[in-house]
Amino acid sequence: MSVVLEAKRKRRGWRVPWNVALGLGLAAIVLAAALLSSWIAPFDPTRMAVGPRLAGPSAKFLFGTDEFGRDLFSRVLTGARLSLGIGFCAVVSGLAVGGLVGLVAAFAGRLIEAVLLRVIDVLYSFPDTLIALALVAFLGPGIVNATIAIAISLVPFYARVAYGLAAAERAKPYIEAARLAGINSGRLVRVHVMPNIGQSLIVMATLGFSSAILSAAGLSFLGLGVQPPSPEWGAILASGRNYITKAPWILIFPGLAICLTVLSFNLIGDSLRDLADPRRKRTS
Amino acid sequence: MIRLIAKRLTAAFATVLAVILLSGVLVHVVPGDPVTAMMAQSVTATPEAMDEMRSRLGLDLPVWMQVGRYALNALSGDLGTTIRGNEPVARLLLERLPNTFMLAVAGLGIALLLGIPLGFIAAVNRGTAADAAVMIVAVLGVSIPGFWLGLVLIQVFSLHLRWLPVAGTDFRNLILPAFTLGLTYCALVARMTRSALVEILAEDYIRTARARGLREHQVLIVHALRPALISIVTVVGLVFAYLMGGQVIVENVFSWNGIGRLAVQAMLQRDYPMIQGFIVIFATSVVVVSMSLDILYGILDPRMRQR
Repeated sequence: MSVVLEAKRKRRGWRVPWNVALGLGLAAIVLAAALLSSWIAPFDPTRMAVGPRLAGPSAKFLFGTDEFGRDLFSRVLTGARLSLGIGFCAVVSGLAVGGLVGLVAAFAGRLIEAVLLRVIDVLYSFPDTLIALALVAFLGPGIVNATIAIAISLVPFYARVAYGLAAAERAKPYIEAARLAGINSGRLVRVHVMPNIGQSLIVMATLGFSSAILSAAGLSFLGLGVQPPSPEWGAILASGRNYITKAPWILIFPGLAICLTVLSFNLIGDSLRDLADPRRKRTS
Repeated sequence: MIRLIAKRLTAAFATVLAVILLSGVLVHVVPGDPVTAMMAQSVTATPEAMDEMRSRLGLDLPVWMQVGRYALNALSGDLGTTIRGNEPVARLLLERLPNTFMLAVAGLGIALLLGIPLGFIAAVNRGTAADAAVMIVAVLGVSIPGFWLGLVLIQVFSLHLRWLPVAGTDFRNLILPAFTLGLTYCALVARMTRSALVEILAEDYIRTARARGLREHQVLIVHALRPALISIVTVVGLVFAYLMGGQVIVENVFSWNGIGRLAVQAMLQRDYPMIQGFIVIFATSVVVVSMSLDILYGILDPRMRQR
């Protein structure tokens, strides 16, 4: 990664492409909203009747109020923390488990490799939102179960990525040399393979982030994820959907929040992937 | 060719079997007792009723026997009965499957009709403003949640302009959900078309075709787009699977009477046999479609038969 970045910098000066700049800018705004929401939110996001019901956007209520007279601006801000929190936990645990599965598949012998790859491929052919949905149906609704389900739904993707990177590394001479020196597989992976594929894995993690946030919003919208009155964006849309004719702002602002957050991580993830994999850059 | 079909059929069967076993096991990962969880909202949850439910669902047997029994029954077309109403799961799901397929095919059609031309425009004008515009649309498409787009379309076209009905299952009701899915997934198609075409346009035979003095549109359409379409067929299966997944939520937005709506209702009521049945039917549909596309691809492109 750093070598690639180095080379790019030399070739055309240090210029950030517009999509990366936009992605980073949006992500910074969402992150700031999430971290600072308890200070900058003008009202308690779950307190009812801080204003009139279904009031339009005004100087006092920037995004208007909802059907219970709660301040929508405060709710959307606080929702950023929920969405990013779920996304972060799901990505970290999904990456840990998926990465482990991928590495085991690459280094634990032919039979295990064949079985694991087959299982990963079957799971990968199902949309991740659907896997999360099916799991939540059995685990039960709620923020913790939704996060677990989303984390598991990301495992096939991360396992595939980790396997691909590890299998490419496996073929290199230094691995053979290390093996000849008598190092066992566990140590080989820890000391030699991980440092070499770690950065690329983290790049791929950002791509899972946006789909985790979309899944979380979808689950909550269906009533299977974060439960009201928690101000999760999907949950706000679900409870406000009967009022959208009278109060379209309940539809617009939480939806835009989801779109912009997912967009920012998609923009960042896409360009990081291009940087990490120069071969893709040429064809895409 | 027969070998290809045999291989695909075996693989498809193995996948379906794996999904059946998996959904049989899923009931047993429920923390605590599934009967308590299922009957928590029911007023008739006496200890006797719960015992009866337990033996009806076979939950008093060892786990491996339950899963085995579920798999055998599922393979013979019996997916059990619903907790609420005691109706056969397979019949309820199969009744609604045509509705789901109708919407999925309409959505896929729109996605292809929009996505292929967009990808074509981007690839041919690579590096220009048109390319950038298409790629912006593509990244927006994968960033907008389908259920929100659906709500916005309802707000604009049904409630504000009053052009289309909000919900129902006749042809006019198909338009909005189909466009919701089509607009969401055309981004994926545009992206794939573009990268397939960009690769093909760099091939030697394209240069040869131009050198022979063929008209540009002939080169683009006959020599570049045709082979690109073949490689798009391979990914249509994947797009279809993702579209069906997104459709589960979209069906609920539009109250479309498909298996996705049935499944989410079952999930909210914790009707486990119904949820298991949904997983099996969904997986089978996706597997059958992608298997048929693989075989179709084998017919279109003889090189594929060797693999």
